[in-house]
Amino acid sequence: MNGVKLNLPKTVGVWNRPDSPRVINSKNIFNYMNGAGELYLGYRFRHLEVFDYTSGNQNNILVELYFMETSDDAFGLLSLDWGGEPVSFSDFSANTSNQSLTSPTTALYGAGLLRVWSDNLYARVMAYSETSASKQAVFALGHAIAVNRKNAPQPDLVNILAPQIGSDWKLRNDRLSFFRSYLVLNSIYYLSAENILYLDHSTEAVIAPYEYISNSADRKRSQFLLVKYENHEQARKALNHFHDVYLPEYKKEFTADSTTNIPSLFKLEDGWLAYKLISNYITVVFECPDRESARQIIKKNESNLLKKEGES
Amino acid sequence: MKDHKHVLTRRDFIRGTIGATIGTSILGLKWPQAEAKAAGSSLVTLVRHKNAVDSSKNVDNTILEKMIEQTLIKITGEKNTKDAWLSLVKPDDMIGLVPTDHLNPTHDEVVDAVKRSLIGAGIPKGRIRLAQGGPRNPQKCDSLIALPALKAHWLTGIGTVLKLYILYSGSPSRYHKSNSSKLGEIWNLPFVKGKTKLVLVDSLYPLCDKGPQPDPRYQWPYNGLIAGTDPVAVETVCLKILTEKRKAIRGEPWPLSPPPICVEAADKVYGLGTSRMEAIKIEHYGWEQDLLL
Repeated sequence: MNGVKLNLPKTVGVWNRPDSPRVINSKNIFNYMNGAGELYLGYRFRHLEVFDYTSGNQNNILVELYFMETSDDAFGLLSLDWGGEPVSFSDFSANTSNQSLTSPTTALYGAGLLRVWSDNLYARVMAYSETSASKQAVFALGHAIAVNRKNAPQPDLVNILAPQIGSDWKLRNDRLSFFRSYLVLNSIYYLSAENILYLDHSTEAVIAPYEYISNSADRKRSQFLLVKYENHEQARKALNHFHDVYLPEYKKEFTADSTTNIPSLFKLEDGWLAYKLISNYITVVFECPDRESARQIIKKNESNLLKKEGES
Repeated sequence: MKDHKHVLTRRDFIRGTIGATIGTSILGLKWPQAEAKAAGSSLVTLVRHKNAVDSSKNVDNTILEKMIEQTLIKITGEKNTKDAWLSLVKPDDMIGLVPTDHLNPTHDEVVDAVKRSLIGAGIPKGRIRLAQGGPRNPQKCDSLIALPALKAHWLTGIGTVLKLYILYSGSPSRYHKSNSSKLGEIWNLPFVKGKTKLVLVDSLYPLCDKGPQPDPRYQWPYNGLIAGTDPVAVETVCLKILTEKRKAIRGEPWPLSPPPICVEAADKVYGLGTSRMEAIKIEHYGWEQDLLL
């Protein structure tokens, strides 16, 4: 197991936990959360430990500790929703703080629910009724979970995305998600009923919108998707399949070695789509208002990708 | 000729060809396949009371009972609760109450209040049973009262009315992932078809995102009961409420993702009712604030 073994307090405020957790694995996860298990299995899930903190006269506090294969998987779960108040457990007071842009958010709190990313652990600590006492207890539990665990970096893929494209497009970091499963992709941005990009546990993917910088209330957005495959051949096959299913009326324009080519561009019902195969990566941008924006978004991110690849 | 299965994509939704695609491709059925719709009404009622749930999420049983009584009278057009129930079920029917029993479940108070109301209408206590679970449950019942809780679902868009009977299939995994569009099929199983006399949705404290796992950021005191005899019409109204709530939270359209394909399929393919808002008559009573309709 990564990191230090967790030692949650037996008592927090007026709440007490049982001696041992309920342990859930990939085989019995559907008994615990029928209909939600696929979310965690969509990432590389090891097991789940559940503690119910009870009190005689207060609603329970539920602690769910999702132990994942890697820090990236745990980050991915947090990244599905950046809503809430950022929380820092870097000091013992466990106060909330506005973290700097360079310091990745590792915990978020809202309406009684605290979500924590701590190395390979994703935790949900939820008070069934939010009170000042329950909030204090939830934060104390969050601190107990995060303390003495290493702060892992965000997935490399996340850092490839250009924060801005020229002076026109800005990345919405607050809508950026990391995933490995087409079901998770569909819950963020619906693409297809089938796994048309051949996503699985061996792939890494990130999606985020770019928003057109303007004063208009009608904010144009384009969705940018970057997928990393194990090798070039897998990426090529996936893009080939994506094209066949998503763009069946268009001729394919990418080749086995396309690093010198311009992106393939298509005018669709909801705007311009562009894609490009870059080594073992696929980049796709959806819903661009014009051809040039689509080209620029792909080009800038390709440049970042090649730069990062060169550094590694 | 090679048989190319058309895979449903985002583009089908944008083109507005989703219905035809569901019928001809995903389900492998000719379009339109729907049987003639049942003669039931597509009236959907919404009864709300500001104080149905208090700030500690406790349900007021007295208010709830009045809401159920009002719902029954408005749905059936009868003068009182007894006549309303007896227009829906027979006195000697074995009646199954089917709540959502897992992750954001139907409030126990709603199930208990419906049971009390049935008993008050003269239905013997022994003829009322809980009927959530495997296929043996509906097989033992003459009539079913569907009592789902209103919630969004990360795999199907919505996980309320049509998903309620998934265990009746005996093989719920057959309706996961892209096959969730087939949920309406379960309602047409021989031991289920025609038995649902009323759909009463617990929308006291719904969940509009991240379901079925509870997330208090997306739950709110709507304090309502949504009801009808057309399950698709009721689901469609539920969808509208969830969609409007999401829009209110973000201040811009925030469509459910994935799109709830099962609702249109239930209409167009399985003939269970109507998913067209313009064909649904909505009557609402009581608390008007943040109606979302």
